[in-house]
Amino acid sequence: MFNLGASFFPRIRLISGASQNVRFLTTAARVTVKPLQSRKTLLIDTYKDLMDKNPVVLFAHYNNLLKQENSFFRAQIQALGGKMTVLRNQLFQVYLRNSHLADPCAPSAKTEQNRTHPLLPLFKGPTAAISFSETDPSQILKFLKLLEKSSDKMFVVGARIEDQVMDITKLQQFKTLPSKSALQSQLLGVLSVLSGAGLVKTLEAGSHSLYLTLQSHHDNVEKPEDK
Amino acid sequence: MLTKYFTKVVVRFNPFGKEAKCARLLLSAIPPAQRLSGVSVQNELLTTDTTKKPTVKITFKDKAEMEVDPSGMTFKELGNYFDRHSRKLRLKESIESQ
Repeated sequence: MFNLGASFFPRIRLISGASQNVRFLTTAARVTVKPLQSRKTLLIDTYKDLMDKNPVVLFAHYNNLLKQENSFFRAQIQALGGKMTVLRNQLFQVYLRNSHLADPCAPSAKTEQNRTHPLLPLFKGPTAAISFSETDPSQILKFLKLLEKSSDKMFVVGARIEDQVMDITKLQQFKTLPSKSALQSQLLGVLSVLSGAGLVKTLEAGSHSLYLTLQSHHDNVEKPEDK
Repeated sequence: MLTKYFTKVVVRFNPFGKEAKCARLLLSAIPPAQRLSGVSVQNELLTTDTTKKPTVKITFKDKAEMEVDPSGMTFKELGNYFDRHSRKLRLKESIESQ
């Protein structure tokens, strides 16, 4: 019995040592301007998440709406596949200034901040962000139509679409485009017409030969098992 | 700012410009209930390549019109500018109601 205990001992120590290391790695103290658990830190993190994960973010002037108007807009946007977030301007500006840094909540010198971010002037007065997780101009078209009907209770002042900052006229042009997958298939069509499918074949050749090699390998591996 | 005596508000501004703060604060200063009870609010957005000038134009209940360019103003100054006429209307109203 004593023997058994001794054989267990080093294993336990090893495990506890490993878990200590992991713990040390995960809780490397994060330095933030505001306390780590504060709402301001949370909101800046949320804004980073919002801007990083959604390729399409529209910024709208969000006039003081009645409760039913507010819930109407939220429901309509949700039906289109988007999400409306009312922003805190100062905190969003902090995020924009520090968005190129690793941690926007960390203290940063004035010289390393981006004080000329093109979106910065939009955050004067009540602003809401409408985010879409996919780049689909038809969604934006529907959304802008919805806003047109609402007699200026809410209106888009600017947008960020895949690293491009857009104003109203650019957005009006953008919404008339077909969706990304449609454009890709159009391009493919044009390429195959122009080069008589030669170019498409050349482009495909790499992945095609890889597929064939893997397939033959797969067949080779499977054959002995069959026999 | 006294918004009680407004009947029509027309705002034209570039959201990326300096005048945007003033113009947007003015739009948000109009209570939503008043919006339902007769004030018509119109806004037109400009872009950097348009040559139109930003304006705020307000029509009062006595059909007087006041127009101003918000680009060099703070919101407080803008409010004071329109209040000059609103106070006149308020005084008139309080005298007539007696």
